[in-house]
Amino acid sequence: MALMPKRVKHRKSQRGRIRGEATRGNRVVFGEFGLQAVQGGWISAATIEAGRIAAQQYLRNEGRLYIRIFPQKPITSIPLETRMGKGKGEPDYWAAVIRPGTVLYEIGGVTEEAARLCFTRLAHKMPVRVRFLRRRTA
Amino acid sequence: MTEELLVQIREQYGKRRNRRMRSAGTIPAVLYGHGEKTVSLSVAADAFSAVLRHGARMVDLTGAVKESALIREVQWDTWGSEVLHVDFTRVSAHEKVEVRVTLELRGEAPGFHEGGIVEQLLHDVPLMCPAARVPEKIEVGVNALNLGDSITVADLTLPEGATVLAAPEEVVVHCIEPIAAPAEEEMAEAEAGEPEVIGEKKPEEEAGEE
Repeated sequence: MALMPKRVKHRKSQRGRIRGEATRGNRVVFGEFGLQAVQGGWISAATIEAGRIAAQQYLRNEGRLYIRIFPQKPITSIPLETRMGKGKGEPDYWAAVIRPGTVLYEIGGVTEEAARLCFTRLAHKMPVRVRFLRRRTA
Repeated sequence: MTEELLVQIREQYGKRRNRRMRSAGTIPAVLYGHGEKTVSLSVAADAFSAVLRHGARMVDLTGAVKESALIREVQWDTWGSEVLHVDFTRVSAHEKVEVRVTLELRGEAPGFHEGGIVEQLLHDVPLMCPAARVPEKIEVGVNALNLGDSITVADLTLPEGATVLAAPEEVVVHCIEPIAAPAEEEMAEAEAGEPEVIGEKKPEEEAGEE
């Protein structure tokens, strides 16, 4: 599944650094329970999709899953056994840049127990450490 | 529900000093409203978290200032565990204030047992009500929610003297048929090369220019 932007300003981007904690996107907004990243990192489009499939297979059309991240960053790579030089590699995949505290997924319409079990399965797919999060009351 | 909260005048400002205050167990706060002077305050973190835990919206400030105030805004850290700052607004008990009140679902929807999904679309509503009577939450009964039914803002049971500021036709909770996940083939179709680069000329356009 190709989660990727429709239009971009530049084909390639620099690596960048993940500094600080998430000051936005760190609350449960759509559902009742969320999965929050405790570490920073890149999550590829394929991994986001793998998480979605793992969650959907557990939920089996019960409840609603919300994906809160989107892979905006093109990650380039150079082919194997290539000599040094010849410029930057070609875009290989797309990744979401995750700061610690970012809510990755949310679930609504299920019990807390079901949400916890679902997120446990989903968490195994994630390349960053995560934790369970409840919606904060107004 | 009104609780008492001991506050002190804060004479230290700025990022560093506030950080030191937080690590020492006090939270920076501010009091404003009624056209009077804004006062910088500090409040004990454990006392304030007890107030939040009890679901209080109105507090009687004691100590450096003696006024009744509404908790207007609470700023949390990234992890939602520590309060960073609190805004208090001066209010009198009979004054009407605008607050957001949590909606809590109660009961079990029959539509859920018919294979539907109970989806809560609105988790809190803006209310205009007397400051002394701000409810902790509004309960929404879903015991009569069948498959295809919905409960709107107009159906909410509001406390006395309160008016809701959201559109009456706005859906709070509905019970819908499960949405089928997109098939694998559809996914494969969605996979289409690289995204368009803004401002980049296509090969045909370049050829036309030459």
